[in-house]
Amino acid sequence: MFLALREIKHAKTRFFLISTILILISWLVFILSGLGNGLANLSAATFKRIDAHYAVFEDGARHSTLRSVISENMIDDLERFENVEAAAPLGTHTAVVLKEGTSGDDAKIDVSLLGINPGTFMEPKVTEGKQLDANNDEGVLVNAVLKDNGIELGDYLEVEGSDEKFKVIGFVENESFNHLPAIFTTMDMWRTIHFAAPGSDRGVEKPVNAIMLRGENIEPETIDQAIDGIETVTKKDAINGIPGFTAENGTIMMMLSFLFVISAFVIAVFFYVLTLQKTNQFGVMKAIGASNGFLGKSIIAQVSIISFISIAIGVALTYATAAVFPEGMPFSLDEKLIITYSIVLFAVSVLSSLISVRKVTKIDPLQAIGRVE
Amino acid sequence: MSGITLRNVTKVYEEGGNSFTALKNASITVSPGEFAAVIGPSGSGKSTFLSIAGALLRPTSGEVLVNNTDITKLSAKKLSRFRLEKIGFILQTSNLVPYLTVLDQLLVVKKMKGKISKEDREYAKQLLGEVGLGGKLHKYSDQLSGGERQRVAIARAFMNDPDIILADEPTASLDSKRAFEVVELIAKEVKARNKAAIMVTHDERMLKYCDRIYEMEDGVLSLAENQPLNKVNELS
Ligand SMILES: Nc1ncnc2c1ncn2[C@@H]1O[C@H](COP(=O)(O)OP(=O)(O)OP(=O)(O)O)[C@@H](O)[C@H]1O
Ligand SMILES: [Mg+2]
Repeated sequence: MFLALREIKHAKTRFFLISTILILISWLVFILSGLGNGLANLSAATFKRIDAHYAVFEDGARHSTLRSVISENMIDDLERFENVEAAAPLGTHTAVVLKEGTSGDDAKIDVSLLGINPGTFMEPKVTEGKQLDANNDEGVLVNAVLKDNGIELGDYLEVEGSDEKFKVIGFVENESFNHLPAIFTTMDMWRTIHFAAPGSDRGVEKPVNAIMLRGENIEPETIDQAIDGIETVTKKDAINGIPGFTAENGTIMMMLSFLFVISAFVIAVFFYVLTLQKTNQFGVMKAIGASNGFLGKSIIAQVSIISFISIAIGVALTYATAAVFPEGMPFSLDEKLIITYSIVLFAVSVLSSLISVRKVTKIDPLQAIGRVE
Repeated sequence: MSGITLRNVTKVYEEGGNSFTALKNASITVSPGEFAAVIGPSGSGKSTFLSIAGALLRPTSGEVLVNNTDITKLSAKKLSRFRLEKIGFILQTSNLVPYLTVLDQLLVVKKMKGKISKEDREYAKQLLGEVGLGGKLHKYSDQLSGGERQRVAIARAFMNDPDIILADEPTASLDSKRAFEVVELIAKEVKARNKAAIMVTHDERMLKYCDRIYEMEDGVLSLAENQPLNKVNELS
């Protein structure tokens, strides 16, 4: 620390420059992670929120609600399996809705229509208004972001391509599916809209897309063997089955890994060059008795100070940017992720400085003797 | 006995099959309070000799005794500790750390050993006062003149209260007035603190401050014919 701090203080510009680069990198890392998180939420917020552990799909549907059609009738059977605490059906449908009486492209809102049974764990708590009512197929719960489109409690919504009409009876927050804000409706209403085309239900009685199961120690194999034509997967697999989820996540993760590699390189090269420049100085210090440990620690201390400050500023900047990002932007900061990535960045920096430490241990103090610079 | 003794020290440099003997059977003893000088032409082996005396280079054969321990037998790790505690180096150019203040140049030596105490601080200030830099404690080396830098290096060499002071052409980068001041200062500190000191130099005018003069010629170390006048009696 003795040398580390004094050198930073003395060569402010130099260390300011490297900090700037690190700040920018960490800023980018956090923004990307926020974006990744935001996209993942947009894509799967409802799945993430629900208190379920497994999901039952049609066999061969590759855990996608888009392809799977099974019968709600099997719920009673499913609930009888060991460790299954509760089961609830889900239907998904992508729709375009308009506030009643409006028209034109600007008024159209893309939404995910989610059919559920009122009162099950699939139903989110409203933040405003009333919960769903099994006897009122017209009433729906709407993601509160639709307020930006001028939707209010009590408004009627038209569904494009259908004669059905919804009445907004409650607002919910952070509910979205497949990148679209969610509208929750009763299963009957959902069926009417989703299977509007004759025969599209393939003759399945009381069709739904999936049945979610709650219970941590459920044995999916047992269920799959006992009931024909279904496949039981973990919630995680179900989330990965959401269209685009894996691809999106993969892209963000790839960018993040590149950023980690870049920061490792930047730090390693910067401190290595700095160390090379100071070879003679280190040689002199070794000649007067500095141990490898003393000099190595001072390099690591320096890298730690610089990275710690830069990452901290990066975090601060990220929260500052998040505050000015437009409301609808798929951006969501997760403290756990921020802490994880901060630690990874910090570790990467410190590790990459070890190249310089190694270099220092190789410097021969002998070179200090008999030299005129 | 204390002080430093080199006994039959030989150094052979091996380089790509060729071997070159830079130091041949050199022997020397310097006791505490003594200031010895080694002169000789360029390439004669002076720096090699000093590096071996300073535990920076292992001799091919012979022993180097400091306070009766043969330092040629110490491990590399012990050697760096040994240099820190027992040897004070004054190098050709002052070789100060550019980002440390004059005071910190001395304190860093203490830091290498562990903590810096209040006494260390006082001692550093006292040393710097003695070399005439009491008023420049917080200057950086680029704000000092060559002579001042060399004086900081002298104070630094004494900071850990070493037994041995080794100086390799400490006046090489100074004009003659400054050079005299610097060597006089080394001599004064060596006497006052009772250290065994060896200085390698090109400059014969500096020899009047030394107690004994050795000559180095093609790796052979011998006592010079002309010893400083005022010391001749002492020697015989
Ligand atoms: N690492 C080495 N490998 C091979 N030969 C070396 C090595 N170091 C020094 N020498 C040779 O040993 C001889 C003595 O070198 P040394 O540096 O001790 O001379 P010096 O008396 O200090 O000279 P100067 O007054 O120019 O500083 C020289 O001929 C030099 O070329
Ligand atoms: Mg030399």
